[in-house]
Amino acid sequence: MLEVVVAGGMIFCAVLAIRSSHLLQSAIWLAGSSAFTAILLYLMGAPQIAVIELSVGAGLVTVLFVFAINITGEDASTVLPSIPRPVAWAAVVLAIAAFAWMVLPGQQPALTEAGPAVFTSVLWKDRAVDMVLQVALIFAGVLGILTLLGGHEDTGEVAGGAHDH
Amino acid sequence: MIIEPRLVITMAVICLVGIGIYGLLITRNLIKVIVALQILVKGAILALVLAAELQGQIQLGQSMALTLIVADTIVAVVGLALGLQVRRRVGSLDLRDLSKLKG
Amino acid sequence: MPALLTLCTILVPWLGAVAIWMLGDKRQKTVGPVAVTFSVLAALAALCLYPFATAGVVVSIPMGDAFGSLSFRPDGLAALLTVIATVIGSLAVIFSLDYMKGEHQLPRYYSFILLFIGAMAGLVLSSSLLYLFFFWEITALSSYALISFNNDDPKAVRGGIKALIMTQVGGAGLLAGALALFSATGSFEIDQVLANPVAIPAGLLAFAAFGFLVAAAAKSAQFPFQTWLPDAMEAPTPISALIHAATMVNAGVYLLARFYPAFAEVPGWKTAVIAVGVITAFSAALMAIVAGDIKRVLAYSTVSQLGYMVYAIGLGAVEAAQFHLLSHAIFKALLFLSAGAVIHSVGTRDIFRMGGLGKRMPFTRLAFVIGSLALAGIPVLNGFWSKELILEAGMETGPAWGYILMLAGAGLTALYTLRVTWLVFYGKPREDLHVHPAGKAMKTALLPLVIGSIFSWLLVAFVTRVSANTMPYHHMEAMDITTLVQEVIMNPGTLIALAVILAGAGTWLVSQRVRFFEKSLGWAVHSIQASFGMESINDAITRLAGFAGEKLRITQTGLISWNLLYVVIALILACIYLAVGA
Repeated sequence: MLEVVVAGGMIFCAVLAIRSSHLLQSAIWLAGSSAFTAILLYLMGAPQIAVIELSVGAGLVTVLFVFAINITGEDASTVLPSIPRPVAWAAVVLAIAAFAWMVLPGQQPALTEAGPAVFTSVLWKDRAVDMVLQVALIFAGVLGILTLLGGHEDTGEVAGGAHDH
Repeated sequence: MIIEPRLVITMAVICLVGIGIYGLLITRNLIKVIVALQILVKGAILALVLAAELQGQIQLGQSMALTLIVADTIVAVVGLALGLQVRRRVGSLDLRDLSKLKG
Repeated sequence: MPALLTLCTILVPWLGAVAIWMLGDKRQKTVGPVAVTFSVLAALAALCLYPFATAGVVVSIPMGDAFGSLSFRPDGLAALLTVIATVIGSLAVIFSLDYMKGEHQLPRYYSFILLFIGAMAGLVLSSSLLYLFFFWEITALSSYALISFNNDDPKAVRGGIKALIMTQVGGAGLLAGALALFSATGSFEIDQVLANPVAIPAGLLAFAAFGFLVAAAAKSAQFPFQTWLPDAMEAPTPISALIHAATMVNAGVYLLARFYPAFAEVPGWKTAVIAVGVITAFSAALMAIVAGDIKRVLAYSTVSQLGYMVYAIGLGAVEAAQFHLLSHAIFKALLFLSAGAVIHSVGTRDIFRMGGLGKRMPFTRLAFVIGSLALAGIPVLNGFWSKELILEAGMETGPAWGYILMLAGAGLTALYTLRVTWLVFYGKPREDLHVHPAGKAMKTALLPLVIGSIFSWLLVAFVTRVSANTMPYHHMEAMDITTLVQEVIMNPGTLIALAVILAGAGTWLVSQRVRFFEKSLGWAVHSIQASFGMESINDAITRLAGFAGEKLRITQTGLISWNLLYVVIALILACIYLAVGA
């Protein structure tokens, strides 16, 4: 029963994150959705990832969003979407139908129920390469932040200079 | 009526993905696009963990989900930074203005 | 060693292209010498590579299961074409130092030339059809970019687009053929096809054979795609010499020669190749007679001479085709570059406005005359030997109608060559044009080609021996000079051919009037000038491609929302495929 409540809350937050016309509210609703996702993950028996989702998804990303929106300003867009709404709805319905078809009972391969419990060390033992890749990815992310956020004074000057000539 | 938790989560995943896709298609604000992308990826994380649980390999699912969270966060970071630059150079966050290549 | 040299011939020009690109527009003065350095280095690497020619793969870089490996095989034919591409490429670059002096945007010019040289070397050296296709497309791209180099001239832009679209038709044929072979053998390796063509189902093999014929016809400007080449003459003249006379247009001939052992048994293929060669060679020679633009005359003669090579491959005389390819590359590059010197000097391409230029540009006249004599097939220049070999093969093994038309074509060649030489360099000046002799860099580039046009046939023993030793599937025979001389001189066909050539030349001498042919041929001139209606067909294809592009443009809004919609649709399709397929 608890799952229903949490999942409902998660979807409610997600809908509001999309529908809200203020970017800041949108970001807050996203954080809420993220928190509910973390609870759901915990309920599913994945506590470590739940903690990470809570701290990164609900924490760090939200901070970044708020930071970015502070700089860009609200710029709330009430303009019409580029794609006609019926087309978007059709795409969503089709996508959902396709996913649902794939997970319908009988459509999925036979599952091996409840295998032997694996240690958390699976992260380091079996997926060491992934970890290295993640480190590289994080490094790329840091570089991205530094060049894109930090270098704005210079780029502004360059852009201004180009206009002058 | 007994509610099967896994079925609930499956439905939640499908709903999240649907909302994410809808948001991606309908919004014209660059930052909202990133929000929609975050929602879509949350569905993917849940789906990964769910699949791992069904297979009885929850730890494997957790480690994969971790990779996904890291990648997703970096996508958000770079996306936001790009949005900032767009705002600075184009003057708005509207995707329609982005299609104008001439500076 | 061969591995290193092979990589050098491709990578050195490409490194040069990047270096010049990095130098940028601000240092216009330095880009020329830098380009010369890189292209000469590549030429030296190719010359050193030639003696090391081998039938085996020397470099192989695995690219994953689906794509085979990026591997290079410098055998006789490939190494020869690499030498031609890099050596003539470096001469064209040297020539450009004078020719392009004072032009704007030189880095773009030189970096595309170097990109082209590297891609051409890669095209011939590649031993995998997939990568051959990649290099093939790079050559098409750089050809387009260089034809349209003067991109504020609408004619140049139109010529470039036409060349691009017509060679894309060929690229589609190549890709279709390659995929057919891939579906049969499960690999893109060329040698696998050549080693055992019987293992491939007959239908697929025939499909690939005719697909490659389309590819070769489009790339080498053969019937029915021949009209893009004259329009490509809007390019700067060194480009015409390098890409549209000596190298890229040979790629089609190369493709046919390379796959001849595999396709020879396909019913109807050899006849089709002969027919394409004969029709092209004869009709293009007719067009050259009435053309009034010096570069168009040379372009039609290129088309015609390529027709001779294609004809020779259809006959199975691959070594004759290879030999003529070498001769033609040298003398046609010479003709184009000396024509370039004339154009640069007088500032027009109209031969009716020239005349009597020889006295004031003696060195250019010498170069052009030697090139013309080689083109016309006058002994003992290189064009004579190779053309005679082709005509002999035609007399011995080919159908009679083909031989007669090719013989007539040889006469026409002599006629139009003499006509253009006379109109440009001899007689009285028809207009008062400001003339200055060719510059130093121009002469430097012309001199090796003059020497080559006179003496390159002496290399026949070396070239055929290398090819015979390194191309196991082609069953070529090494031929030394005495055999060549005996075979050509003893053959009655030579006398017939020489008589026809002299008759053609005599026709001009008798009728030495400036616009004689335009008047005497009357109504036929219009149809000849319109390439017998082929022009309109080619234009229609170009227009169709442009039209389709305009219409398809609405799908590319540049709006992220729509792009995301396409992503979602692709996702849905993938899901449906997985659900249904599993």
